[in-house]
Amino acid sequence: MKKPLSNRFWLTLLAAALILCAVAAVFLFSRTASGTVAVITLDGETVEEIDLSAVSESYTLTFTGKSGITDVVEVSPGKIRVKEADCPDQICVHQGWIETGVAPIVCLPNALVIQIQDSGDGPDAVVG
Amino acid sequence: MKAKRLTTCALLTAIALTIFVAEAQIPPPVPVPGMKLGLANIVTVYAMFALGPGDTLMILLARIILGSLFAGGSTFFYSLAGGLLCYLSMLFLRKILTVRQLWVCGAIGAIFHNLGQMGVAVLIARTPQLVLYLPVLLIVGILAGALTGLAAQLLLARLSKLPK
Repeated sequence: MKKPLSNRFWLTLLAAALILCAVAAVFLFSRTASGTVAVITLDGETVEEIDLSAVSESYTLTFTGKSGITDVVEVSPGKIRVKEADCPDQICVHQGWIETGVAPIVCLPNALVIQIQDSGDGPDAVVG
Repeated sequence: MKAKRLTTCALLTAIALTIFVAEAQIPPPVPVPGMKLGLANIVTVYAMFALGPGDTLMILLARIILGSLFAGGSTFFYSLAGGLLCYLSMLFLRKILTVRQLWVCGAIGAIFHNLGQMGVAVLIARTPQLVLYLPVLLIVGILAGALTGLAAQLLLARLSKLPK
């Protein structure tokens, strides 16, 4: 049998992977979306598109997915969040408000995703 | 199947399932979808080196199926894709790693678990942007995986001293 690879080799490999991931994470999460339109998708279908800059008063929307889980989404001027959900992990609720970040709010048990869309593509940008 | 082997597999499945269900009760410290410690991986890594691939696959599948019954059905496809991809990477790793390098197996297995999970999440939610979370998931995955692998390594060293 071949000589096994040393611990040092594996440690270097994994440390390099960690550093790469850290750099990628910092880069990705520091970006901001150029648009103000929040797109809500449920089970892969777009169910709502809201221009957050045009919202003047807070309101809530309720979505129930195929899994039977219900998410209450709160829309406010310039920001959006999942206010309540009856999923077990509550990760979507703890993600809090999103305004400009590119990282979407995700409720995996319900396959509900809220993201702020870039306005860079589409016909509007070409005309403008 | 010999009674001893059957008992060992059943015992390890019960341990893995207990760890899996107990871990699901811990509230996530940071709100990143799909992030978890993956403590049940200790059993998978241990079984891979102590019992071999066949028994490990059975323990893994039994734990995933029973785990999704106990913890709610929505975890099933994520666990299955992550678990199987992790298992495949370990099939390869067990040939090149020594018994003192199980921590590497845990860490690399975790990377593949994250990749499998992410693939399913992107397919189910049909949102490729979920990949944004991958680097953060991988950081936690590699660190937690190295520790669960190390736990399996210590377990293997101690249990192999027991009289047969």
